[in-house]
Amino acid sequence: MSSLTNAVVLDERVVRARGGDEAAFESLYREHTGRVYALCLRLSGDRGRAADLTQDVFVRCWEKLGTFRGESAFGSWLYRLAVNVVWMANRGDRRREERVVPVAEPDLHERATRDATAGLGIDLERAIATLPEGAREVFVLYDVEGYSHEDIARMTGVAVGTSKAQLFRARRLLRERLER
Amino acid sequence: MNEKELQDAARQLPRSIEPPQDLWPGIRERIGRTKAGEGGRGRWDRRVIWIPLALAAGVAAILLLRPRGETWAVQRVAGAPRVNDAPLGASGTMRVGQVLETDDSSRATIAVGGIGHVDVQPGTRVRLVRAEVTDHRLALAYGGIHAKVDAPPRLFFVDTPVGTAVDLGCEYVLETDSSGRGRLHVTGGYVEFAWSGVRSVVPVDAYAETRGGRPPGVPYVSDAPATLVAALDSFAFASGGPPAAHAALAAARSEDAISLWHLLSRVDAPDRGAVYDRLATLVPPPDGVVRDRAIVLDSATLDRYWSRIERIHFRIVTLRGVRPIDARTGLSKE
Repeated sequence: MSSLTNAVVLDERVVRARGGDEAAFESLYREHTGRVYALCLRLSGDRGRAADLTQDVFVRCWEKLGTFRGESAFGSWLYRLAVNVVWMANRGDRRREERVVPVAEPDLHERATRDATAGLGIDLERAIATLPEGAREVFVLYDVEGYSHEDIARMTGVAVGTSKAQLFRARRLLRERLER
Repeated sequence: MNEKELQDAARQLPRSIEPPQDLWPGIRERIGRTKAGEGGRGRWDRRVIWIPLALAAGVAAILLLRPRGETWAVQRVAGAPRVNDAPLGASGTMRVGQVLETDDSSRATIAVGGIGHVDVQPGTRVRLVRAEVTDHRLALAYGGIHAKVDAPPRLFFVDTPVGTAVDLGCEYVLETDSSGRGRLHVTGGYVEFAWSGVRSVVPVDAYAETRGGRPPGVPYVSDAPATLVAALDSFAFASGGPPAAHAALAAARSEDAISLWHLLSRVDAPDRGAVYDRLATLVPPPDGVVRDRAIVLDSATLDRYWSRIERIHFRIVTLRGVRPIDARTGLSKE
């Protein structure tokens, strides 16, 4: 019964927000910000950036609300949107970094992050943050968030096989790093 | 934290984390600007910028994907390997079309472009078929190889007399005789083995048998019951038909779900319901997987079920000897 009530309330807020009602949108923000922030934090590996990305997600959500047709729960739609926003931001950042990182040292970022955390009693959250970007994305989405490889492929535009390979790589790297 | 607790720990991470400060004021300000109408302007300007950029990207892609260097480095490990009938020194190269052969006491290692290596076992004949950025391909006529590849999936292929092993990010041992009788053993990641439209996806710690003139066998895990392995062998290679399939169903445990998942698409349509029901008993299907769709082999349904099965399988393999995992759910039993 309570879930039915929640669904009705949620629908009303979405409909009102679509019509430009900021109070309704703020209510949606209050309900979902923790989940969106957690996702942004783990996908980006940086607290400051996660806050910026969370803002980007909700601004994007506001702009795209008209395309939400209620075929899935609003939360599911929002989290997928969040993944897409972070993914696009990460790709943009990586392109910028690639302009200054020598091609001959492809693991530079990986080594730098690994060295920076050595000896700190690294925990899982920290270890996840040190993963290379593609591997981190897939690990967070698959092992933490519970998406399937097919979902990840749809959300990020990578092939299902690539998602599987990145997951394999992420798990291997995490095991290695947590071993130390 | 023990490294083997990784998977459990990942599932238990908090789904929600409050931001360090209230982000709503910034969001409200930005959506206020959006409402003021910033969208839509400059569309033509953006197009003018993107067209030449797209052209440049196309040229770059062509340059990156063109065939480069059609030779691979080869190292002698033991004995007297030969490349195109010429003795291999301490090291050398193979060109596309050339053949590396090892006798009963010889071994060699082939560098697979820049993406991995292949250890060539004694008594093996292998030919370099392609050495391209998007297609690294060997043909294994007979013998055995141990391949380890660290690259995106579907860049490394090994043709055998009875099909092609497609790397999906993995490490494996592939052995075959000249008739195609052999075995694939995956020790890391996944390998797809395909022949004549039949596909086996073999995950880590699993095997698939091959026989001449037949599609690849149904994969099975390393500790599968002997009765299951025998039933699968009879089904795939000895025309065992429905009796062999039903024997496999009876012998299967939850740990053998990868076998039943493959069996579902191999049996005749009237038997699929029985396979699905047994599989669903051993590993309950995830949300979105329904019997009616599974038994007509709807690909999205089967893929979703496979994701659940391979995930549980991975946890069992990873945490073996550390903590018992419920093979029905993938959750820790402790």
